[in-house]
Amino acid sequence: MTTPSAAARPARRGTDRKPRFALAMTVAFFAVLYLPIGVVVLYSFNSQKSLTVFKDFSLRWYRDFFHDQLLIDSLGMSLQVALVAMAGSLVLGVTLALGLVRCRNRLGSLAGLIMLVPLVTPEIVTGVASMLLFKGMQIPLSTGTVMLAEITFSISYVTVILRSRIAALNPEVEEAAMDLGATRWQALRLVTLPALLPSILASAVLIFALVFDDFVLAYFTTGVDPQPLPVRIYSAIRFGVQPTINAVGTLMLVGSIALIALALFIPRLFGRRGGLDLLSGK
Amino acid sequence: MTTTAANATNAPGRPPAVRLDTVCKSYGSSYAVQDLSLDIAPGEFFSLLGPSGCGKTTSLRMIGGFTDPTEGTILLDGADVTALPPNKRDVNTVFQSYALFDHLSVRDNVAFGLKRKGVARTEIRERVATMLERVQLAELAERRPTTLSGGQRQRVALARALVNRPQVLLLDEPLAALDLKLRRQMQVELKQIQREIGITFVFVTHDQDEALTMSDRTAVLSEGHLQQCGTPEDVYERPANSFVASFMGTSNLVPGTYRSGGVVMDQGPELPVGPREGIAEDSRVSLAIRPEKIWLSDLAPGMARVNGVVRETVYSGPTTTYLIELAPGVTVSVLEQNTDRSRMEDRWSGGEHVEVGWFPEHCLVLE
Repeated sequence: MTTPSAAARPARRGTDRKPRFALAMTVAFFAVLYLPIGVVVLYSFNSQKSLTVFKDFSLRWYRDFFHDQLLIDSLGMSLQVALVAMAGSLVLGVTLALGLVRCRNRLGSLAGLIMLVPLVTPEIVTGVASMLLFKGMQIPLSTGTVMLAEITFSISYVTVILRSRIAALNPEVEEAAMDLGATRWQALRLVTLPALLPSILASAVLIFALVFDDFVLAYFTTGVDPQPLPVRIYSAIRFGVQPTINAVGTLMLVGSIALIALALFIPRLFGRRGGLDLLSGK
Repeated sequence: MTTTAANATNAPGRPPAVRLDTVCKSYGSSYAVQDLSLDIAPGEFFSLLGPSGCGKTTSLRMIGGFTDPTEGTILLDGADVTALPPNKRDVNTVFQSYALFDHLSVRDNVAFGLKRKGVARTEIRERVATMLERVQLAELAERRPTTLSGGQRQRVALARALVNRPQVLLLDEPLAALDLKLRRQMQVELKQIQREIGITFVFVTHDQDEALTMSDRTAVLSEGHLQQCGTPEDVYERPANSFVASFMGTSNLVPGTYRSGGVVMDQGPELPVGPREGIAEDSRVSLAIRPEKIWLSDLAPGMARVNGVVRETVYSGPTTTYLIELAPGVTVSVLEQNTDRSRMEDRWSGGEHVEVGWFPEHCLVLE
């Protein structure tokens, strides 16, 4: 079979020129997106305190960071909060999604709508409301209150991602499991959850990333010591920008990239479709 | 509605493998299945046949335990299982979508049921291997179902159900998704497997040919009601009513009035049918006769004869179909084998006057 070659086609004016404008726009887009981040990374390796003149390569700000107990504590707390929020919202969110898909009545569709409200509520409102609730119940603000607030905030994301996936599952598959002797619970554990694993992992990565650097909700619900990393960085900056912050920023960037890479790689281990599908929750 | 006796010829002392006793399933005010009573004998290849929406899949799902009947009881091997969930019933299902577990290998798919039953590891390995051998999937045991072809997936579904040696195997249009050639092949294969292992098969299909060629007995359903239950020959040669007559292959239905051994067409001659029991004089009836039972030439003595005009000739390889008008508005189709005698040049063409005939015992009078 032959395909008409590009040369054989009558040349149309304009269409075969190099898209210079589009190219320029692309370069500009990436520059705006990544230059500020590049500056942070670059100056985290500066030997001087200056944020305008790069002198020599040095790791002194990283050394400073690892000797700054307050920052280390904050990093630890943020990691803890992110992990707990991830686990908690996964359990609750997956359960809610299963219930919403299978509860096909008025109450179910109402619950499905209410579930979406946290997604559109301004975070600052959620933050203030959470703080007032904790104060009203006389619960002292601490790491625990941040975790609770973040879990509440994250459930909707998990549910939205999982709900469409569950609705797309073939109901005969779970019936087949029961037909072969599995109880309802076994059918869920052995057949349904494994089929949902890619979406569950996608939500896990998303929630971890969202919660780890969440500022607003954390700011309103945290106690004094330790404070989540974003809140700590914010308070540090009020007394002048320290180059240590550049080092922290760079480390967070590396961590995020590693997380994304992991998310892309995990599905390959399971012999499934590419991770990009997974991140879009399909 | 006409219902013929739906009882299987049972071995004495052995309860039917499946018994449905006046089973109903309604959704609100509409019935998916109404007053369905069936006995299916052990070892029988039984099919539930009907157009889509006739309640055949609903009936199968009630036997499997996926749908609860609104009324009536379901017995498996004499025991009432109406209230039992699917995992407590000794039946297995081959689903229309196959419903394979995509995250497990072919081997683990087939082993799933035995693992749930707590069968010993070594026995599981053996039985799974034997079954995979039986359905010619031994080489693909470690593959994921998503990497298999339709026919292979179908066999995985079959193996996954059969390895548990259920009392009854339920099959929900298992061949519907396969192409014609593969379907013919699987029909033969399924029938072979069923004869070998002697399990009762309950087979749902909308394809009359499939039901006729595969079943020991078939139940024809329409709009939730049982129309007829019997051997393929029964339902094809002696349809209980006009629905069965027209659903099982093509049938000519000629409306008329029954009068002393004949059916008088509304505008036309009387068609002799011979004496019929249980049909009242002067009642409105349909005369049903299959296209292949009507002769066009070399009419034999003892045949009912009618004159007609050829209206259409449809050549289709081994056979030719003629549409012949017997009276204004009454057209019957006639099927002729294209043997040497009725070659192309001999064929009747439109407008020709012909005499058609049939043996009176080949036509049915349906009320």
